[in-house]
Amino acid sequence: MTLTMEQSPAQAGAAQGAKITARDVNVHYGDTHAIQSVSVDILDKTVTAFIGPSGCGKSTFLRCMNRMNDTIDICRVTGEILLDGQDIYARSVDPALLRARVGMVFQKPNPFPKSVYDNVAYGPRIHGLAETRADLDGIVEDSLRRASLWEEVKDRLHQPGTGLSGGQQQRLCIARAIATAPEVLLMDEPCSALDPIATARIEELIDELRESLAIVIVTHSMQQAARVSQQTAFFHLGVMVEFGDTSHIFTNPDDKRTQDYITGRFG
Amino acid sequence: MTETAMNQTGATRAIDWADPALVQRVARRHRKDRMLRVAGLVALLTACLMLAILMASLLWSGHSAFTQTHVTLDFEVAAGKVNADKPGKGNYRGIVAEALKTRFPEVTSRRDQKALVGILSNGAQYILRDAVVANPDLIGTTVTLAVPVSDPYDQLAKGQIDVDTPEENRRLDDREIAWFHKLEAAGSVSRPLNLALLVNADSRFPELAGLSGALWGSFYALLVCFVISFPVGIAAGIYLEEFAPKNRWTDLIEVNINNLAAVPSVVFGLLALVAFIGWFGMPRSAPLVGGMTLSLMTLPTIIIATRIAVKAVPPSIRDAALGLGASKHQVVMGHVLPLAVPGILTGTIIGLARALGETAPLLLIGMNAFITQAPDGIMDSSTALPTQIFIWADSPERGFVARTSAAICVLLAFLVVMNGFAVYLRKRFERRW
Repeated sequence: MTLTMEQSPAQAGAAQGAKITARDVNVHYGDTHAIQSVSVDILDKTVTAFIGPSGCGKSTFLRCMNRMNDTIDICRVTGEILLDGQDIYARSVDPALLRARVGMVFQKPNPFPKSVYDNVAYGPRIHGLAETRADLDGIVEDSLRRASLWEEVKDRLHQPGTGLSGGQQQRLCIARAIATAPEVLLMDEPCSALDPIATARIEELIDELRESLAIVIVTHSMQQAARVSQQTAFFHLGVMVEFGDTSHIFTNPDDKRTQDYITGRFG
Repeated sequence: MTETAMNQTGATRAIDWADPALVQRVARRHRKDRMLRVAGLVALLTACLMLAILMASLLWSGHSAFTQTHVTLDFEVAAGKVNADKPGKGNYRGIVAEALKTRFPEVTSRRDQKALVGILSNGAQYILRDAVVANPDLIGTTVTLAVPVSDPYDQLAKGQIDVDTPEENRRLDDREIAWFHKLEAAGSVSRPLNLALLVNADSRFPELAGLSGALWGSFYALLVCFVISFPVGIAAGIYLEEFAPKNRWTDLIEVNINNLAAVPSVVFGLLALVAFIGWFGMPRSAPLVGGMTLSLMTLPTIIIATRIAVKAVPPSIRDAALGLGASKHQVVMGHVLPLAVPGILTGTIIGLARALGETAPLLLIGMNAFITQAPDGIMDSSTALPTQIFIWADSPERGFVARTSAAICVLLAFLVVMNGFAVYLRKRFERRW
């Protein structure tokens, strides 16, 4: 990427109100071309869903947005991804700080084998976000409340987070992610390991969190995408086939492949 | 199956589950299952039998060394024979001889009297001396003390000298046996637990020889080994697993570490002899050099154990920490290492247990010297448990045969304790999620 005074294509083409702007992103795993020239705008205070069949690259693309792919040696990312107009792959950007601003929730609930409190306090602690113990207590309580977990765990904050139920663990992971006050929350199939009731609670939670941050959710379930998202991107074989308003994609898709996928012809 | 059956779809294809060929195949399958089970059971029983034979033979030949025959005598510590100002100096040998002569007034010839003194261990005079030095008030009184008998009489008491063999082929003649029986009849002979085996250092006399020097030597050597190989092994393992780029150089290092774990230990002994003692001029027979040599052997074990334990930490935990913006060292120190600790500790203790039993490299650096004093530190000359066993197995005295087996039992006991400790640590630090 060259540093010029002129605007890059992405900066020029960024939509108004876009939190993250991706332009012409390509990802290679060794010799495999996993993502081919994907461009997308993630709007602030909006839920964007990535749908598509297994292996279509939607998770890979999600992990580009907080540079989690950096940890894979053979993975190479080209193109531009801007967060608030700033290139996140620029040399000056520290991936660790970026990941505090762009939080992530994973497929399988993965709380640390520590107490509920320590799980939520981990992010603020490593980034030094709390001055005093009381500050930290406040952040932990606030995060747990926003993840609608506070009432269930307030009496066992110092018991292991791994002792909670699957759905509670996933909400704990969400609380942990929002404790660093991220501007974007990436969710990689957050409900795939949960039962329908726990899934419904997470979906409610996503709707509440949308008021304060941008959310990108990868999901296998088209119903879930239709329920929680305002924008939907359909991926197929490493290509973003279609991107637009969720209502539009699900009712009147432009592309034949999208039509086939959402009607259950393949996938 | 016929061609048409193959072409039918699964739902409608008719399978004859009672077909004799199929039934036969199932029977054959069951027979193979049973055979595999039986073969495994036989192998397990064989292994158990071998272990039982080993333990039984060790205990059988070693049990007699856990007791030591003592004779209780009255020693007249005459003021004329011991100087009250310097109780350490005195004719204790004379006092001991006198005590025996008093017990056997019928023995009058000088030759017989000389043989009579041979009943008691050469260490009897020193035991008496130590008792008097500890309490100088004893001078001028008669001290009643149980002292060890010499090795031939110990063997006699334990029934290992056959009185039916011709006198000239026996280690004790009829006259000597009669003396001992007289002492026995008087109730002066006892066989207490052989504490000397643990508290004494090595000695030329089996009845005085103990493992204290070897135990301390092994302890210091293992301490040095641990201090060197534990931090270095963990750091190397973590670097290779977490930080090292995957290229030809790290592959080469990995192969070499794996090979190092398989190098015969005697080679490390030669290396230590040339490098540590030859070039660096470190002292011979010292636990410091022994420990450094052993750490060369333990290091690959710990590196490999660390790498396996680190690799076994679920990637989801790393992802969770990285996703929150933790840096590499925060992920490693805060999450990976604590979760890998049980595996690392187990590997370390297994490595140390192997080092404890290692003989060949210690022989090469001279830890098989004859040393009658326990070491005071890592620079003193000493032996180690396995080399002490080696020395005793090489000794001609009859009493060392049982002591060799007893020493092996002590070594095995320490190995069992160390392995038990490894299991405890693993259970203690293992976290579940």
